[in-house]
Amino acid sequence: MADIGYIALCLALTASVYSAIAYTVGARRRNWPLVTSAKNSLLAVSGLISISIAILAYALVTHNFQLEYVASYSSRDMPLAYLLSALWAGNDGSLLFWAWLLSIFAAIVILQKRNIGQELVPYASSVIAVTLAFFLVLLLFVSTPFHKLSFTPVDGTGLNPLLENPGMILHPPALLVGYVGFTIPFAFAIAALLTKRLGDEWLIMIRRWALLAWLCLGVGLIIGAWWAYVELGWGGYWAWDPVENAGLLPWLVSTAFLHSIMMQRRRGMLKAWNMVLVILTFSLTIFGTFLTRSGVLSSVHTFSESTLGPFFLTFIGVTLFGSLGLLYYRSADLRDEAEMESFISRESTFLLNNLLLIGSTFAIFLGTVFPVISEMVRGVKITVGPPFFNQVNGPIFLALILLAGICTLTGWRRVSIRNLTRHFLWPLLAGLILGIVIFILGVREWYALIGFPICGFVLTTILYEWSRGVKVRHQIRAENYFKAFWCLITTNRPRYGGYIVHIAILLMTIGIVGSSLYDVEQEVTLKPGEMMTIKNYTLTYENLDIYETENRAVVTTTLSVNNHGELVGKLVPEKYFHRSYKQPVTEVAIRTTLREDLYVILLGWDEDNTATFKVLVNPLVSWIWIGGGVFLLGGLIACWPER
Amino acid sequence: MSSLKIRPGIIVLFIALLAFSPVKVKAQSMTDVSRQLICQCGCTLVLSNCTHHECGSREIITNLLNEKLNQGQSEAAIIQFFVTQYGEQVLSAPPKKGFNLAAWVTPFAALLFGVGVVYVTLKRWVRREKQNHSSVVIEEDERYTRQLEKELKEFNERSFR
Repeated sequence: MADIGYIALCLALTASVYSAIAYTVGARRRNWPLVTSAKNSLLAVSGLISISIAILAYALVTHNFQLEYVASYSSRDMPLAYLLSALWAGNDGSLLFWAWLLSIFAAIVILQKRNIGQELVPYASSVIAVTLAFFLVLLLFVSTPFHKLSFTPVDGTGLNPLLENPGMILHPPALLVGYVGFTIPFAFAIAALLTKRLGDEWLIMIRRWALLAWLCLGVGLIIGAWWAYVELGWGGYWAWDPVENAGLLPWLVSTAFLHSIMMQRRRGMLKAWNMVLVILTFSLTIFGTFLTRSGVLSSVHTFSESTLGPFFLTFIGVTLFGSLGLLYYRSADLRDEAEMESFISRESTFLLNNLLLIGSTFAIFLGTVFPVISEMVRGVKITVGPPFFNQVNGPIFLALILLAGICTLTGWRRVSIRNLTRHFLWPLLAGLILGIVIFILGVREWYALIGFPICGFVLTTILYEWSRGVKVRHQIRAENYFKAFWCLITTNRPRYGGYIVHIAILLMTIGIVGSSLYDVEQEVTLKPGEMMTIKNYTLTYENLDIYETENRAVVTTTLSVNNHGELVGKLVPEKYFHRSYKQPVTEVAIRTTLREDLYVILLGWDEDNTATFKVLVNPLVSWIWIGGGVFLLGGLIACWPER
Repeated sequence: MSSLKIRPGIIVLFIALLAFSPVKVKAQSMTDVSRQLICQCGCTLVLSNCTHHECGSREIITNLLNEKLNQGQSEAAIIQFFVTQYGEQVLSAPPKKGFNLAAWVTPFAALLFGVGVVYVTLKRWVRREKQNHSSVVIEEDERYTRQLEKELKEFNERSFR
């Protein structure tokens, strides 16, 4: 069976190379039978990679441990969901998963019926075929998942215990769909440059692809943060780790892209800039894949070191400089049709939004690679961790959020001072009042004193904008307020979906500011029966228990929790030793409310049942996850096809 | 008039509330210092976030840190001690001096440069609009003048009948 998987990959490589050449030649010479042949061969690539991944999945489910990949990432005791998630647990499998996703997306692109831009499809498909060929080369010659062992082990090593979490089923696929999805906008951008069809056509074709990829990447990042919070057991959700940053970089650039394409669609502006953003986003997705696999930077998220680094660097170099060269060659055809009546307009806010997003991307990129630069220039190893990223990005992110509010109520082309005052009066007052109230309540940290009022201001601008729309519909169409609100959203989904996403960002900001500035932690060693107090909580350490399961030796402790003197429940933090892994694994215990999380980590224990705990109270963390849900809702509304 | 009477009252109330509002004092603690250090066990986490009790370096650094805080050493002296022991990589962020300053300054320098680019771009767009607008006015003025001249000519030629 494994041989069939490998042969399928060989055939897929041949077919994708043929498809790339045939598409380009066929389209240039207007040889439509050749284009059809290229199309069929790309569909065949999709089928062949599907066969290949199905064979690997089958090998995982049927415990074919003769395959090195299966023996390394699965074991007999794993449930079906985790067996299947082992597909993307290792380097080779995740590359195959990447190639499979791209081949499915390619099939959708070529089978999609469309009224416009049909001329772009052959060139875009050719770019996709080249990308597929690159991944197939890696799968066949550098990192194959079908490598056989000279013997068949009785059982496999299994997944790293930290990966046995629902996050493993959701986070990597969401992230990979996001990463891979950005290949399609990139392919169409290159097709537009090659064919000199540089109007809005390509943007119309890729808008939903870009939005879906952006949404999946964003959701993937949020699930990843949640997973880190509940599983890694250090009490936080974002460590500014190189691999986390690698996921955030393309998301930030694509956010800039999704905003700036509105400028091109509405005003014919930023044509060349949009191309730059698409090219950058795609290059950063490949850079992220490179970082995860090259071992060039240390991270808890990386796969084991491999020889893939130079291949990825070459691919990034060729695609980045090749596309930027092509863009330069076509720059004369990408002149803006823009003109503006005033400095104060929505166009200006969009430009600033792009500037801040790209500025933040640059800061994160620089911080991520700075250890390598330092070692190259000075020969000194340094670490660039959370204090750097928080200090540099904090002001930029707050400015971005403020801009979201200003942009909501600023019109296109020009805004009169009278209108500006009229629209911003209530939101500004709301922000100001919120600032005064929290100051009176004792808030003194600058980030909170600026951050919360900004959130209040932006939320009011969105509600004000909605209320204006609802009122107009109510007056003109005599709809009741609920129907008017519903119709307002459904008739302009991209716009109101976008506002919902902005609300999600506000909720997450509240959670991030609250949990970063007001978290309290304490490390204590307790004997059974002893108690400790942290903020309004009193925890009593009841007992320690040790038990064994088929593959784990578990140390479990029980603590009763009193909040303001009232018993609210018990928490059971654990540590266990997995038979296949040397390091003990921490299972944290969390008591979640909308106000705060009580987070208990079992650090260690002694023979006399004395145990050491780290206890944290993290305020407002739940709002980050609620914000995540709202983000998904807003994104789906924005993506949903128009009637 | 009534609003004028109310205003001083609001200000007095606000100042009074400020005077009695609780002020959070940030305590210098173990956590504050350990957030500036990276655990050296290979977990790549900030020391205060490392929960690997079994990790040798966490225990050593934490004990040393405790000892030095109890001795009343300053934060800067403690940090310098660990830099001497482990090198710059023990710091959770590069120090703001020398070559490392580039990491801190470059993003903001780039942003400032970006602000300049945005300003120039906006200025060009606004100027282009004004030029286009004024050329339309000139064209319209010329058209109007021509029309007027034609009508006057016709008027003169035909005179009053």
